[in-house]
Amino acid sequence: MSKIVILGAGISGHVAASHLRRKLSKQHEVLVVSPNSNYQWIPSNIWVGIGRMKSEEILFPLAPLYKKKNIGYKQALVTTFHPEGNTESTKPYVNIKYVNGELKGKTEKVTYDYLINATGPKLAFDMTQGLNPGTNKAYSVCTYSHAEHAWHALNDLIQQMKQGKKAKILIGTGHAKSTCQGAAFEYILNVEQELRRHNVRDKAEVIWIANEYKLGDFGMDGMLLSYGNNIMKSSEMVEMVFEDRGIKWIIGAGVNKIEDGIAHYETLDGEYKSETYDFAMLIPAFSGHGFKAFDKNNTEITEKLFKGFMLVDADYTPKPYEEWSVQDWPETYQNPSYKNIFAPGIAFAPPHAISKPRVNKNGTAISPAPPRTGMPSGITAKLVADNIIDIINGKKDVHHKGSLGNMGAACIASAGYGMTKGSGVSITTYPIVPDYNKYPDTQGRQLGKTFGEIGLAGHWLKLALHYAFIYKAKMKPFWWLIPE
Amino acid sequence: MTQRISKSKRFYMMNPIVQFFKFIWLSIKIMLVVAGGHGGTRKVNN
Repeated sequence: MSKIVILGAGISGHVAASHLRRKLSKQHEVLVVSPNSNYQWIPSNIWVGIGRMKSEEILFPLAPLYKKKNIGYKQALVTTFHPEGNTESTKPYVNIKYVNGELKGKTEKVTYDYLINATGPKLAFDMTQGLNPGTNKAYSVCTYSHAEHAWHALNDLIQQMKQGKKAKILIGTGHAKSTCQGAAFEYILNVEQELRRHNVRDKAEVIWIANEYKLGDFGMDGMLLSYGNNIMKSSEMVEMVFEDRGIKWIIGAGVNKIEDGIAHYETLDGEYKSETYDFAMLIPAFSGHGFKAFDKNNTEITEKLFKGFMLVDADYTPKPYEEWSVQDWPETYQNPSYKNIFAPGIAFAPPHAISKPRVNKNGTAISPAPPRTGMPSGITAKLVADNIIDIINGKKDVHHKGSLGNMGAACIASAGYGMTKGSGVSITTYPIVPDYNKYPDTQGRQLGKTFGEIGLAGHWLKLALHYAFIYKAKMKPFWWLIPE
Repeated sequence: MTQRISKSKRFYMMNPIVQFFKFIWLSIKIMLVVAGGHGGTRKVNN
């Protein structure tokens, strides 16, 4: 009998738990430890942030589902890692602290045979002075509660605009090293459409601010894509959409301080500037959770497990951009020091960024961190689950592999909500991490599989994915037929 | 605001009948890209 402990119940943790439970017999224990009581389908937060969906439509409680499916669940957060056990027992364990109910505040030692760290990122609002959702007129859509809060503020502003107020809306990244530009891109297009729907578009100046060197970088060094019969750069596609929607943009901007209605930022030219606003939605930097690890003698060994995020089978040798290789990226998400620990999704430490790093004359690094969002999180979680099952069944090596350099991704970016008025920018990219050796003439990607489409179908597709993935997450009949 | 998308292109983008077929095409194409498999990179290129 094996015990698999999964830390986190986001897309990655939940996918791993679901597949493990489906494929392993009941003699094996699957236990999820997460501080969150709800599963949330994060890609739909955008629609909560414009008031077109309620939070209840994008989440469901975890406890009843896990009870029904025989998956253990503890609403707690992990505090320390002990991969060698302690002086009394060599059984590895993690210490957890309950965050809710009668056990709130109590700690517990949870042993494991296999550990999946799917704790995702810490939303590091504290890395930007004054950036805290709901203060200084700046908001976030990173969680459903943040998105609800953002919608209330935006709605208040729309009501004021209906009375004649002119407003400035700033949307983008809130730190020089932020990622997830895609979420901000979706939000700015949705907000712009909502302003038109409320007949106040002429009252608003809508501005994109981002740490990207070029529009459409998305933390992936941009891409060359097929668009209809043409081939265009993602920067050209985004520029076309922004100009058509009357959205202005500031790029190469590292936001470093937020005051009441003022965003201060540094540019790639080394200048210090500021932008005023009446409503802002700024994506923070992501960071690791600051976990600590200890060996059996209680000596700290954090560096064997973490480098901000968790260390896996990547090549972490520091190299200049010109020497970066697709082979640097992990394939199995297995920790090299402790083979029974895995970190899929956003929890693993990337070997380096994907976009070219840029530093201004003041020494400030302003460039996006690599995005590792929903779809790759699900795929890497499933392959980790499959490898653990193989090991339990007697295989010695991990056979299931999924490098971001040999994996396609779809980004169905909502560009406005509505069954007949909605729109979406559908982009697929293959591979996620460009392979400049394999595809030297097309900026590291395969053109037929890297394409973009704009239109109503994109909105329908995103909506269909919303319902399909919530169905899948609820583990309803034949859920496993829906791919990650 | 600068019109960067022509009226005919906009009609194509927002016409429900055209977009219904586009929806089917996109679903299949995305499925092929996303569910078309994944793997390592080190063995392939080494």
